Amino acid sequence: MTVANPQQTFPGRIMEVTLPAGEGGRSVSVGGQTALPLLPEGERPNAAAIGIEIRTGDEDLPPSLSHAFGGKGTDPAVLAGNLVEESGAQFLFLSLAGCHPDLGGHAVSRGAGIVRDVLQAVPCPAIVGGCGEEETDALLFPAVAEAAQRPVFLSYADEKNYRLVAGAALAYGHGVVAWSPIDINMAKQANLLLGDIGVPPHRVLIDPLTGGLGYGLEYTYSIVERIRLAGLSGDAALARPILCHLGDSWKAREALDSAEESWGDVIARGRRWEEATAWACLAAGADLLVCRHPDNVRTLRGMVGAPWR
Amino acid sequence: MALTALEIYKLLPKTNCKECGFPTCLAFAMQIAAGKAGIDQCPPASDEARETLGAASAPPLPKVVVGTGERAVILGDEVVLYRHEKTFYHPTAFAISVSDALDGDAFRDRIRRIRSLSFERMGERLAVDMVAVRCDSGDPARFAAAAAAAKEGAGTPLLLSGPCDALAAALPSLGPDRPLLCPPVGEGDAGARLAAPLGLPLVVRAKGIDGLEKALAAARAAGVRDLVADPMPASLPDAVSLSVYLRRLAILHRAREVAVPTAFDLGNGFPSPFAAASLLVTKYGSLLVLDSDDPADIFPLLTLRQNIFTDPQKPIQVEAGIYPVGKATASSPVVITTNFSLTFFTVRSDIEASRVPAHLLIADCDGMSVLTAWAAGRFTGESIAKILSESGIAGAVSHRTLILPGMVARLSGKIEELSGWRVLVGPQESSALPSYLRRLPPAAFAPADA
Ligand code: B12
Ligand code: SF4
Repeated sequence: MTVANPQQTFPGRIMEVTLPAGEGGRSVSVGGQTALPLLPEGERPNAAAIGIEIRTGDEDLPPSLSHAFGGKGTDPAVLAGNLVEESGAQFLFLSLAGCHPDLGGHAVSRGAGIVRDVLQAVPCPAIVGGCGEEETDALLFPAVAEAAQRPVFLSYADEKNYRLVAGAALAYGHGVVAWSPIDINMAKQANLLLGDIGVPPHRVLIDPLTGGLGYGLEYTYSIVERIRLAGLSGDAALARPILCHLGDSWKAREALDSAEESWGDVIARGRRWEEATAWACLAAGADLLVCRHPDNVRTLRGMVGAPWR
Repeated sequence: MALTALEIYKLLPKTNCKECGFPTCLAFAMQIAAGKAGIDQCPPASDEARETLGAASAPPLPKVVVGTGERAVILGDEVVLYRHEKTFYHPTAFAISVSDALDGDAFRDRIRRIRSLSFERMGERLAVDMVAVRCDSGDPARFAAAAAAAKEGAGTPLLLSGPCDALAAALPSLGPDRPLLCPPVGEGDAGARLAAPLGLPLVVRAKGIDGLEKALAAARAAGVRDLVADPMPASLPDAVSLSVYLRRLAILHRAREVAVPTAFDLGNGFPSPFAAASLLVTKYGSLLVLDSDDPADIFPLLTLRQNIFTDPQKPIQVEAGIYPVGKATASSPVVITTNFSLTFFTVRSDIEASRVPAHLLIADCDGMSVLTAWAAGRFTGESIAKILSESGIAGAVSHRTLILPGMVARLSGKIEELSGWRVLVGPQESSALPSYLRRLPPAAFAPADA
């Protein structure tokens, strides 16, 4: 070859983080790489990990998801067990949306009970998400941290609640997902703050907020690229695995609307809406993806594994 | 390699004659170095300076134009590797294939479906850019007829993919439309001989970067100027790494030998075309050929392209002001939102769907969504009160009632206090606006008492 070598090397390495499994499950490691995603260069000990989200609470499912979930059960433990097994998800993201006052208003104790049941039924690694309502979450995270009989990750700690979430995580040996609103400085700040109060770096994942396709994805795409480039270039506080939660892609009208015939079948389209979001996040540098559609979990797992290692 | 201002200065006449519009040659040199001026602006410059600086300021990835007129497609002409460094200028083009083996009705039906792959989002029309006509029949006359019919039916520029005798048959009628020629691997030289005299763009197909380097050199030697490279990946990972490496060579290494826009044929049984297309939209594919004409595939891909190719420095936005929706009168509701295009077009189409005429009041929030603008302090009680008094809306309606986005319900007290308008808090999602507007009692918009 007379042209130059296009491969790139970087001085930094992304921290390797392991999400532990329960008995009989397989733990998942992510990070550890010295290269940009999806390229045959540098060291890349781990492929991106693909997880599936299960949500509690009274929400209407998008048509594409209700089609996919049909007959898989409604009890969270049953549904989680079925979906994880069938899709091959490497981890479970359990969102306690049902504790939100508008989505069921489950008591905190009920949320914690669901966590216990689900973790028992499904041995894969787990991330437990709050309901998004500040005051409820302040009670929920400590209760979840206690109820979880094995180490999980708590999602999420932000600027406001990080002491509480990190405190709960530290007391019971859990990890923390550090959330920031599409802002590289805030992402860095969050990791530094968590470090200051003693959360070990190998128990932190970055959640940069993932805008769905057509609804802010481009901002996320560029922030993820910048976080990854900064981490590989030697900024230790940003050299952490990045988790992209694709939930926003299911809020897009284009993923839900069955009335617009010229947009194509809504069941196929909804799934594609999430899938395109997923590929863009992977291209930018995501190490963990949280999907809702089991077919997307299967597709992504099948493709990001072996051939890209 | 980019030249420094000082290196450029040394090449200039150093007379400070000001003809370029700058006070000194050095000032002009600094503008060139920053990419803000070109050597053409200095009339007394020597030929040597022109040549050196012309080459240095040419884009690292050349531009190739396919088609003519309004629907012409620009490939390449990019300057950065990451969109946050500046922006990506020329969106990945999508071509949907049609086979010349389809007969009459099936062919027309296929073209019709391709043409209907067109969607409105954020005030932009997202559509397929080209039709790729494949010669599967092996019959040059049939191919020529199919290509002409595709041109006629779809109205887009064409990618003509087939053996050179078929391409040659199509060119007499289609040549002036600047189609992109794509001969098979073994016929690169013959393809170059077809493209060169007509000045047409040509896809050079060869395995990998080494193969492309040779094939591109041969095509250049044959006189083709507008070149596009298809590195013929065998798999999805291969496609991504070849695309990234070609772009890095162009941008980082200024490897002119291989610095041309890329084309990827994701049809013809290429594995996981949807995944490949998604990844190549983000990772530098200039032209993607797909076999699917399913809107459930194409709409998400076009939306992804719209996202990735927006300017990261400046959100797509609309002008602030009053937008009447439907036949709005003095007693129609007043609805406020921000000037982020996504927000504006979403809200406007939801008002349209309600069939309730209304005045849509758009606040200048630097193109931020409702919550983002609120969080940034650009959509506040104060700013909204100011718009109510300064936009002229008070003259356009006889009532004093404002419908506020549900997400910023907390602003209502402040607005009422500062403006004297009454505030109704609307739903959180504008998708609930149709039923909300239809349920509003007309009394809500009775004229304000003087
Ligand atoms: C993309 C994005 C950005 C982009 C900017 C995008 C843009 N052009 O606005 C960037 C990365 C720059 C950004 C920056 C910030 N962001 Co921001 N951002 C988002 C994100 C992911 C999507 C926003 C979006 O595009 N929404 C889509 C549009 C269409 O929504 P919308 O305008 O609200 O309109 C909807 C409704 O409001 C309603 N509606 C609109 N108008 C009307 C009118 C009426 C009458 C009615 C009834 C309804 C209605 O219908 C619409 C469709 O549902 C959201 C999170 C999310 N998932 O929503 C956060 C979010 C809005 N951002 C947030 C924050 C905090 C910020 C920052 C302050 C963070 C920071 N420190 O940097 C900055 C502020 C900007 C600054 N300082 O310059 C917060 C706001 C917190 C809060 N609850 O108030 C959010 C909610 C994220 C979060 N969960 O914390 N952000
Ligand atoms: S026109 Fe050329 S010679 Fe005259 S001042 Fe500008 S750079 Fe110098």
